[in-house]
Amino acid sequence: MALIHAHRLCKTYPSGSTRVVALDDVSFDVEQGDFVVLAGRSGSGKTTLLNMLGALDRPDSGALRVAGMDLLSMGEAERASFRLWHIGFVFQAYNLIRVLTARENVAYVLQLQGKPSRQRLQTADAWLAEVGLEGMGDRRPDQMSGGQQQRVAVARALAMSPSLVLADEPTANLDTHTGGELIRLMRRINERNGTTFVIASHDPAVIDAARTLIVMRDGRIEQTACRD
Amino acid sequence: MSELSSARTWSVYVLLGWRNLWLHPLRTFLTASALAVGIAALMFLSAMDDGWMQQIKTNFALTVTGHVQIHARGFERTQRLRLHIHDPSALMPLIRAQDGVKEVVRRVRASGLASSANANAGALVFGVEPVPEARMSRLSGFLVSGTWLSPDAKHEVLLGDGLADRLQVGLGDKIVLMAATPDGEIASEVFRVRGLLHSGVLDIDDLFAIAPLSTVQQWLGLGRGVTDIVIRVSNDDQVTPVWSRLRDILPGDSYEVMRWSDIDPMAEQWAQFADVYTWIILLIVIVVVLAEVLNTMLMSMHERVREFGLMMALGARAGHLFVMVLWETVVLVGLGALAGFALGGGLVFWFGREGIDLSRFAVAFSFMYMDPVVYPRLEWSSMARIFGASMMGALVAGVLPALRAARLVPARALREI
Repeated sequence: MALIHAHRLCKTYPSGSTRVVALDDVSFDVEQGDFVVLAGRSGSGKTTLLNMLGALDRPDSGALRVAGMDLLSMGEAERASFRLWHIGFVFQAYNLIRVLTARENVAYVLQLQGKPSRQRLQTADAWLAEVGLEGMGDRRPDQMSGGQQQRVAVARALAMSPSLVLADEPTANLDTHTGGELIRLMRRINERNGTTFVIASHDPAVIDAARTLIVMRDGRIEQTACRD
Repeated sequence: MSELSSARTWSVYVLLGWRNLWLHPLRTFLTASALAVGIAALMFLSAMDDGWMQQIKTNFALTVTGHVQIHARGFERTQRLRLHIHDPSALMPLIRAQDGVKEVVRRVRASGLASSANANAGALVFGVEPVPEARMSRLSGFLVSGTWLSPDAKHEVLLGDGLADRLQVGLGDKIVLMAATPDGEIASEVFRVRGLLHSGVLDIDDLFAIAPLSTVQQWLGLGRGVTDIVIRVSNDDQVTPVWSRLRDILPGDSYEVMRWSDIDPMAEQWAQFADVYTWIILLIVIVVVLAEVLNTMLMSMHERVREFGLMMALGARAGHLFVMVLWETVVLVGLGALAGFALGGGLVFWFGREGIDLSRFAVAFSFMYMDPVVYPRLEWSSMARIFGASMMGALVAGVLPALRAARLVPARALREI
């Protein structure tokens, strides 16, 4: 069974006296272990779709199942719980909680899951090392570069063993070299651990890394391509 | 639901709330300082009030009334001399044996007329036991000229200076006191003025004529009878227990046992009025200061909308954010309250020892049974009231930003910059 099953998703937003179509009859499936890139220009509906997949927003109509769960029938508390246990998020910027150290940021989700202190700190340190930030666990976000902060976000997303990692323009605020390193890191983890990634981006380096590429335009899927 | 109920889950919000306060240390410092000054002012005001009230209660009770009085049933209401205690000698040892009783005196109290060679005036005659009365009440302290009644005095009288003025008499002058006996006959007796009293209390200064008990008993045909048995207890806390025990012991159909506040509720009502007044001041200060807290918290919340969205995206629930913001408010107010209690406590401690000299208002103060030097004293109940009001205010001020945080929609909050 597909990890993600999206069927005829539609979403409009009010804009003054009219409504803007953000998603228009979007259907697709994503298999477990895939590395999917949602490509398209700004306003094409990538972030809206990502928000649907991450149970941050609801479609006006359609059906959506992620990790075997019907997201549309869930209440807010269930959706929060679903995000906590199944979804790892990496956003474009302001990814970290300012007053927590890198280690505490990674351990935050584990703490929400109720993991004991020693386990969550060990896991946090292991994932920080995995993303190349060994020894930087005590730094606050304002003591780290943009690339380092994004790596912490990746470590946090992966530390809770999610069913799915959703990343929204993760390289947009990074230079080409740092962005390339980040995407190679994500790809490596995907290949080694089988973690499913869905990344919204119009960065060519990210698009190059896609195993499945979904191109969006004006809220619709314009093209789908599989590399393997 | 396991993640909601876990103490581990909540502990991170306690940590977050604390650290968020120090994201803007100056803002936190200024807000906490405003709170501290407000709470210190409240504490000092409350301590002044408590000090005043204690003075008023003590002075009021000890000026004349005593803490507890025993009369023949019906005397206090009717003031009829016929209703007197015929022989108090059996009662006195019984009363003295009660725990908490410090002094017991007998008195005769009667309304009458004072006459001199020049004038007449209404008087309130008190027959007192000279030696124990000096220990019992503050009356001997009000002497402004002459001396207190001697132990073997017979026809000596002490007059309020207002009464003496109206009678146009001074030390050594003769006056005649007239009053009705228990049978309704008018009896008179000659006294010589031995001393003049000035208390600042109009009733005392304009009406009081204090004479030896034995002479008054003889003059009014009371034999060994008295109208009042007046009790002073060792401290204020003993008033009600002593009163209660005596009510149980003495037959209710023959005697009435009354506390000072039952005899004259004025001081008690002053205390109650001061209490209400303090509550109003407390409410105003708390509202003003907490408006500042609310402003700070709303600013802080507004700056962190995206962070709240991030936390919700990561699995935090509305309840988590609600508690975190509320906790921040409580900690902020708690810090201000602690500093305020330290500052206010220091002021109260200092002035509680040194006193605040308000003798330029002495005339008004004596009218209110107050001493010219006030010693602030803080009651635990007052501190608890200020602390409780601060914390309640913190919760009220914290609820609005906490609700706003809890009601954020994650997808929208994440779009905030």
